[in-house]
Amino acid sequence: MTGRGAGALALLLGALGPVAARAQEAGEDGQWTMPARDYAATRYSPLAQINVANAGRLRPVWTFSTGVLGGHEGQPLVVGHTLYVVTPYPNVLYAFDLTQPDYPLKWKYRPDVDPNAVGIACCDAINRGAFYAEGKIVYNLLDGRTVAIDTATGKELWKTKIADLAQGETTPVAPFIVKRRVIVGASGGEFGIHGWVKGLDLRTGRLAWTAYNMGPDSEMLAWPGTWRSFYEKRSDLGVTTWPKDAWAHGGGPVWGWMSYDPRLDLVYYGVGNPGPYNPEQRAGDNKWTASVLARRPDNGALVWAYQFTPHDNWDYDANAEMILADLPVGGEERNVLVHFDKNGFAYTLDRATGEVLVAEPFVHVSWARRVDRSSGRPVVDSTKLTGASRGNVKDICPSLEGGKTPAAPAAYSARTGLFYVPTNNLCMDYQAVTATRIAGTPFIGANTPYHAGPGGHLGAFIAWDAARGRRVWEIEEPYPVWSGVLATAGNVVFYGTLDGWFKAADATSGRLLWKFKVGSGVVGNPIAYTGPDGKQYVAVYAGIGGDWFLLAGDVRSDDPADVRAPADFIRDIARHTSQGGMVWLFAL
Amino acid sequence: MRLLPVLLLAALAACMRGATPDQQAGLPAVRHDEHVSAGGAAPKAVRWQNPYQRDKRAADEGAKIFTAMNCDGCHGGAGAGWVGPSLADGRWRFGGADGELFQSIYYGRPHGMPAYGGLLLAPDAVWKLVTYIQSLEPPADVPTEAWQ
Ligand code: HEC
Repeated sequence: MTGRGAGALALLLGALGPVAARAQEAGEDGQWTMPARDYAATRYSPLAQINVANAGRLRPVWTFSTGVLGGHEGQPLVVGHTLYVVTPYPNVLYAFDLTQPDYPLKWKYRPDVDPNAVGIACCDAINRGAFYAEGKIVYNLLDGRTVAIDTATGKELWKTKIADLAQGETTPVAPFIVKRRVIVGASGGEFGIHGWVKGLDLRTGRLAWTAYNMGPDSEMLAWPGTWRSFYEKRSDLGVTTWPKDAWAHGGGPVWGWMSYDPRLDLVYYGVGNPGPYNPEQRAGDNKWTASVLARRPDNGALVWAYQFTPHDNWDYDANAEMILADLPVGGEERNVLVHFDKNGFAYTLDRATGEVLVAEPFVHVSWARRVDRSSGRPVVDSTKLTGASRGNVKDICPSLEGGKTPAAPAAYSARTGLFYVPTNNLCMDYQAVTATRIAGTPFIGANTPYHAGPGGHLGAFIAWDAARGRRVWEIEEPYPVWSGVLATAGNVVFYGTLDGWFKAADATSGRLLWKFKVGSGVVGNPIAYTGPDGKQYVAVYAGIGGDWFLLAGDVRSDDPADVRAPADFIRDIARHTSQGGMVWLFAL
Repeated sequence: MRLLPVLLLAALAACMRGATPDQQAGLPAVRHDEHVSAGGAAPKAVRWQNPYQRDKRAADEGAKIFTAMNCDGCHGGAGAGWVGPSLADGRWRFGGADGELFQSIYYGRPHGMPAYGGLLLAPDAVWKLVTYIQSLEPPADVPTEAWQ
């Protein structure tokens, strides 16, 4: 949290009266004011009351039904002693008073969101959460608008249109705020958008800059003198690595998580897939889709970029979080960025330059043999290349759900030096067909049925050593693991499962310590905070959803006019869970 | 499998010179299964008839338009349901009769069903889509999902 943020907190606590003193004891450690808790995107809480010895005694202490179905991705925030919850469409914002018994609402904000967004959002009408700064809760409405809400009153301070539904853009992503810049992006990799990030002014909501993810250097804000890529020296790569004008409808959405290094003054974010899925319609590397970009928050200037999957043939979006850590790599302390890509490789990059230091598969990978360190490019198995002329290409691993879904962020504990990662064990067949771009409709062109990877289980929760590029332990799960992760100073890691369990494990050994059935499958990200009573709490959403590729729709029960057969590869998921939207709080 | 998109669009644009639905006898009847008429009497409306009813060739052409217009991208292959509802379960949010399906496609629906009438699809092409959708046989056991 920044100094300014702390000032706002002091004001807030002043207003709360008697609990203020104890809250100050809890200090910043007890809060969770941004999606990943810190700018390094670690999702690590320094709280240690809940530890390996006592986690087995966790119990639910409070629940709240959000009144909304649909995938409950993202995470609540705790600022001072208020708990903030954003729901999936229609994006209601709740503010709960943690100082009162039963945590009654202080206010609730119900925006007028265009229902058309529900059909344009590719995979479910989800929201990935809010960001707190300077007395404001800032978040995105699904229909392409960013709002700032006054934490004291619940009143709207500003609302800015950032995206265009008619072009297939929707905005489930959580904003990221650095130095009074609100940085936002849009989904639409399945709709042929021209992907971008925008910087808004935190005070007014006014647009300060727009930076495209592909196109001419001028539109990408890749200026001579500022821009330098470790592996690429040519200019206008966002144009020259595409057929004529294809970049203008080439996808490249931004719907994942951002991080920030204050010393380098760089914001990092991942760019999604190129469109359409049929790669023969877009010969070339398709830069900078399936890439990580590093930009200056003030003016959006592009400083470096690295492409994980050149000429992506498999819908391997790179929207997963970029976790910043300092690790000993090859006997030397390095400032790195760690990224678990959909393509199945875990990358450890130098975060000043984008140089690849380590790239090893963290799940079963069949599309590439390895990543070549000197060029930074994957060594692709040509029998796994796809395209309309290649027919049905079989057994590509991982599936387009990713070795890990970017929607569910990993966590890093500097205490153990390990990364904790939700993973999928899925492979796919891929039959591409020619797709036509019609604005506001999908631009896909592939049929991609899934099957289980080696072992038959569909997922695992793993611990990863990013300095050496190896798995340390794993917990096999029957279903893909689609929740984010919380790591804590109590050496406990938390995650949830699609069949509705919330679990705690020993961060060192991977031993299961505790589990609790939260009703609906977990696709949200757990957080930890200190309550006004000085106790540590853990919060998480239940509410399955987030991907109609993965969930055939038989986990729904709310619409008598929409009844679907289960997906072949996950036939019994609806036996264990159904949609729901709940906030759960746990404590000792 | 797909029609050459450019040709298809040109062909559809050519048919567009025909009458638009508004200029015909009036709005088609829309009766949701769930509709209740206050006082027990339904308001008067025109019942629209699909000119291709159960015509196999029209249904096949409709299937091609269904992929060429990216309907499958939202409703899934064979209309089995994805971000848009299943069109193959024999159940309807806005009705499955000729005029009701026509309206869903031509004018769109509020939760993200784009309106295809006007620029992209002429009434004739919409009727072929209606014929295709009506040809999708719902499986016998829709209401019950059993695991054993
Ligand atoms: C951008 C996604 C999208 C595209 C493209 C799309 N649909 Fe839809 N469609 C939807 C959604 C979402 C609904 C539900 C709308 C609602 O409930 O308001 C829907 C509803 C419908 C309905 C009404 C279903 C019912 O239960 O009453 C029909 C019929 C339909 N679509 C046919 C089509 C056809 C034919 C095409 C192609 C010409 C198409 N759709 C293209 C998303 C889409």
